[in-house]
Amino acid sequence: MSEFYRDPKIFVIVVLLILALAAPLFLPDAFVFLIGLTYLFIILAISWDVIVGYTGQVNLGHTVFVGIGAYTTALLQVPSRFEGTFLNALAGIPQPPVFISILLGGIVAAFVGFVIGVITLRLKGYYFALVTAVLPLVFIQFLYVWSDIFGGEEGFSVGLERALAPDSTGKYYIAFGLVVISIITLYFILRSSIGYKFRAVRDDEILAESVGIDIVKYKVLSFVISSFFAGLAGAAFVHYRITVGPSLFDIPLMLLIILAAVIGGLGTLYGPILGGFIIYLMKNWWLKSISGISAILPINDEVILYTILIIVAILAPHGIWSYIRLGVNKISGKEVR
Amino acid sequence: MIEIVLRILIYGAVLSGIWALTASGFSLIFGIARILNFAHGTFFVLSAYLSILLIKNLGFNIFISYAVSVILVGLVGVVIYKIMMAPIREHEVMVIIVTLAFALLVGEVLLLIFGEHGISVPSFARGFVEIAGVPITWKRISVFIAAIVVIILLEYFINRTRTGKMISAASQNLEAAMIVGMDVERLFVITMFISAALAAFGGLLYAQVFAASPIFAFKSLIFAFAIVILGGLGSVRGSIIASFIVGYILTITINTLGARWGEFMVLVTIIGILIVRPTGLFGVEE
Repeated sequence: MSEFYRDPKIFVIVVLLILALAAPLFLPDAFVFLIGLTYLFIILAISWDVIVGYTGQVNLGHTVFVGIGAYTTALLQVPSRFEGTFLNALAGIPQPPVFISILLGGIVAAFVGFVIGVITLRLKGYYFALVTAVLPLVFIQFLYVWSDIFGGEEGFSVGLERALAPDSTGKYYIAFGLVVISIITLYFILRSSIGYKFRAVRDDEILAESVGIDIVKYKVLSFVISSFFAGLAGAAFVHYRITVGPSLFDIPLMLLIILAAVIGGLGTLYGPILGGFIIYLMKNWWLKSISGISAILPINDEVILYTILIIVAILAPHGIWSYIRLGVNKISGKEVR
Repeated sequence: MIEIVLRILIYGAVLSGIWALTASGFSLIFGIARILNFAHGTFFVLSAYLSILLIKNLGFNIFISYAVSVILVGLVGVVIYKIMMAPIREHEVMVIIVTLAFALLVGEVLLLIFGEHGISVPSFARGFVEIAGVPITWKRISVFIAAIVVIILLEYFINRTRTGKMISAASQNLEAAMIVGMDVERLFVITMFISAALAAFGGLLYAQVFAASPIFAFKSLIFAFAIVILGGLGSVRGSIIASFIVGYILTITINTLGARWGEFMVLVTIIGILIVRPTGLFGVEE
């Protein structure tokens, strides 16, 4: 029991919770808005970690599921987009409440993930990475081809009245609630026997198969869970920003997700939370201020982020979380594993 | 009607020849080192930009500048391999991530320097010839011939020369190749050079007929994926045959439905193959 009180983890979590809940009281409105977005981004980083870090399958099309969730909720809220197209019949469907529609965004993304997973994950090796790499391009092409419905390059607005909350503070708390629910859900999934089977599949497929784990089933399950949270966060993004458009879900976002998870540490859950927080704020806050350099040198914020990613991946492929854990264990006098 | 058929036949052949070079390069390095090089498309566009620099800024002759840029890109490939791939080769997730990050890095820098508009490079030949009433430029014909010549040289190199045979032996069984005393690391470096040079040459041919742009690096990579999946991962001959199939699918789609359906058809093709024949036409079960 005394072990429990001395556990620094509980202390850190409580402090972070208090800080997060109190933040809107003393931070300016624009920051509150940005940090709320960062929470949604963290959901993307940890859900990507489930399939890549925990199950070892490289998914390069995570943003597609973000986009599927986003357009699902947007079209459910604005069914008039279907008017005059070949899907005219859908124009009259009643609008579900915003939270149901966000949930449906996650479910549709999970379903698409299931279909793609069943086709590509039964093959060993690299097919999954290759197919998921092609998906974003096709998805964006889709949006352009049926621009009557999807709004093409500009996207469309879902209307102010369908925002998550009327002001930034309200949106902040809803986004915070979503990220906490996602973290807790994933924490319990990954600590359960399902999570251990994911790791068994990652570490040694043949061994996992020989002890009776249906590797295809668990790969697909992992992909479905990962896609569900991506779709959920994507749908929440729409109601946070009130607009939906392809620029939200393109390749730079994919790289940002990868960067957050890799810098934090793949397969650690806490690492990508930390990485997501740092990377998203960095990208949207102080990296904006250095954009003046690009007038002189061919460098902009993206070039810097890609360079950081390459350096971290080569020099510290286990991410910063492993160093933090090492440090904490040393301080608290535990055996270093 | 006959005009359209003939145009599709010839344009398809040109495109297929270019893709055959690019995809077989991608396949070669995967076959021997199990490296999925996401920067392969970058080598494709990099050579076009390099040769334009050499011709416009340094006044090089066209052929010399092409030769120099192919060799330079090949060396870039070797350097990238030494710095970014070799140290983390065991960690396959990281190899994909690092090469993808490198590809996007180069793409972004090219975008900042040259802008988003595509560039074309001077062609080997001018004028046109009429084939059954359809005017075909010598440009396309010379590109096709150049592609075929390089493919034949590649086949000769792999099947007839000592180094080529060592590469294909190591691709079949890396451990056995090490046991019989091959310097596998040296083979990796040689293969990386050839792989990058093939992409570079493919890019130069492509930029003669069409235009290369920073964004096209990613598209060309995706076409290479489609071809390699169809042909079977790691099989060079499979890649060459598959590139003609994908090349014609693309040409027919673009000429009938329009250019924006190109990528969509490629994905449908990939998914179709994976359902019907998961290991591709010539792939081996892993």
